[in-house]
Amino acid sequence: MNYILNSAAQVLSGKSTIPPDQDHLGAGTVASVVITGIVVVFIALILLILLVTIYGSIFKVINNRKAKKAEDAKKADEKAKTVETKPQQEAKVTIPVVEDGIEEETVAVIMAAISAMSSASGKNLVLKSVKTAKPQRSAWSAAGIIENTRPF
Amino acid sequence: MAIINSFLDTMASLAAESGFAGFLVEGGWKNIIMILISFVFMYLAVAKGFEPLLLLPISFGMLLTNLPNAGLYHPEFWEYIKGTHNINYGRILQEGGLLDILYMGVKLQVYPPLIFLGIGAMTDFGPLIASPKSFLLGAAAQGGIFFTFVGAALFGMSAAECGSIAIIGGADGPTSIYVSSRLLTDNSSIGVGTIALAAYTYMALVPIIQPPIMKALTTKKERSVVMGQLRPVSKTEKLIFPVLVTIIISLMVPSAAPLVGMLMFGNLLKESGVCDRLVKTAQNELMNIITIFLGVTVGATTQADKIMNIQFAEVMALGVVAFSLGTACGVLLGKLMYVLSGKKINPLIGSAGVSAVPMAARISQKVGQEEVPTNYLLMHAMGPNVAGVIGSAVAAGVLLTIVR
Repeated sequence: MNYILNSAAQVLSGKSTIPPDQDHLGAGTVASVVITGIVVVFIALILLILLVTIYGSIFKVINNRKAKKAEDAKKADEKAKTVETKPQQEAKVTIPVVEDGIEEETVAVIMAAISAMSSASGKNLVLKSVKTAKPQRSAWSAAGIIENTRPF
Repeated sequence: MAIINSFLDTMASLAAESGFAGFLVEGGWKNIIMILISFVFMYLAVAKGFEPLLLLPISFGMLLTNLPNAGLYHPEFWEYIKGTHNINYGRILQEGGLLDILYMGVKLQVYPPLIFLGIGAMTDFGPLIASPKSFLLGAAAQGGIFFTFVGAALFGMSAAECGSIAIIGGADGPTSIYVSSRLLTDNSSIGVGTIALAAYTYMALVPIIQPPIMKALTTKKERSVVMGQLRPVSKTEKLIFPVLVTIIISLMVPSAAPLVGMLMFGNLLKESGVCDRLVKTAQNELMNIITIFLGVTVGATTQADKIMNIQFAEVMALGVVAFSLGTACGVLLGKLMYVLSGKKINPLIGSAGVSAVPMAARISQKVGQEEVPTNYLLMHAMGPNVAGVIGSAVAAGVLLTIVR
């Protein structure tokens, strides 16, 4: 065991190397290669775990702080708004007028898309009604337009 | 009459110089067998889809190099100058064939780091940053490398051969070529081509080798662990990561610097978001060009006398041992982490610690879904998977530091 540890220490310090052409490696040499190899790989990667975890948690704190600040600012904003324009706030929760024959799922999808966009753009968008689109032109006039606007 | 005589003479000398005559000289039959073997690998690549992007160039290189008198590749040019560890590159430049010139990129360790540049530009280290403990699994799977070293030593192989065979367990083609081209000398009974063939064949066989080992080492309960979502990783974290890894690993294991450095350079290019053109080149054109050069020249080193010996069988046998041990080590550490984490970690992601990106991660996903169809382990397995790439580069650096 001592021999193995000694040779591992030598290998690590770069003092002892094995020439590529050496045959019949002794048990001690092989064991030292295995131990050194595994230990070095683990030390290197554990070091990375520590560093990545540390900076990960630093960023978590920073991000949380940013999020908190943004949230606080939002809350303050909203408070001011609710005091000034209470009726508007009520208008926001109005249920959209949905035409008969349109499924609830469709409305849900439209609302989800709008809320996703409104959080991205920072604007408050409201869905007021959902109607089926009626064809604007008759088939004949549509055909005429296509005919006249077709590129060569 | 004179015309006919000279015609016959010319024809005779043409026939003597032709490749057909080359098959008839002493040892020429070996070339025929090698060409047949190259057909087998071509078949595996084309019909069976075994890593075709590499096995097809390798097998064609094998064909080219075994055509007598074609002079594309000269193994004798790559012998060391007597009493030194240097190669006479002047001679190669002056007299070398096409594949000799291209092989310089392998021997001078140019191609594998460039491939790593492309891999880095394609890799997302996000899952690893989100769950840094995956590094442990990536490290454990490298156990396969070092335990195979023991196996190779038991066969009485030289240190260079042991190291080259062991690195197959890293399941990383470029790393295997990088290590073996540096270690193997002209006294070695195996060539870089042999190592590459074994490495890429087994990488293609990962979906067959890994699942039985994974299932044997885990219980149904362990395999059924459902893992939650990973936390999102910010862009700044992704930018710091490659720089940090390069500095730490290169300082710790300097001989791993070319591989890790280029891998992380590629990744930094990608994550920076401001070098679109360079990223595209690294991911596509450069990577493809290097793959062609690497494949066809590595194939060219598979000369008859380096393949048709008992060592080739030993390499193939030890290669599969290396892969299996790597998988087993990863899964076993996964089991340990399962216990320590209070049954929150699915040990199946441990097997992804062998590099083979992203195949190994997909296997974890697949085996996991066999138990719980709604379990998505893929992103969790990508962490150990990319950690395995870093891990095998470190292991390569260690081998290169020890054996020289």
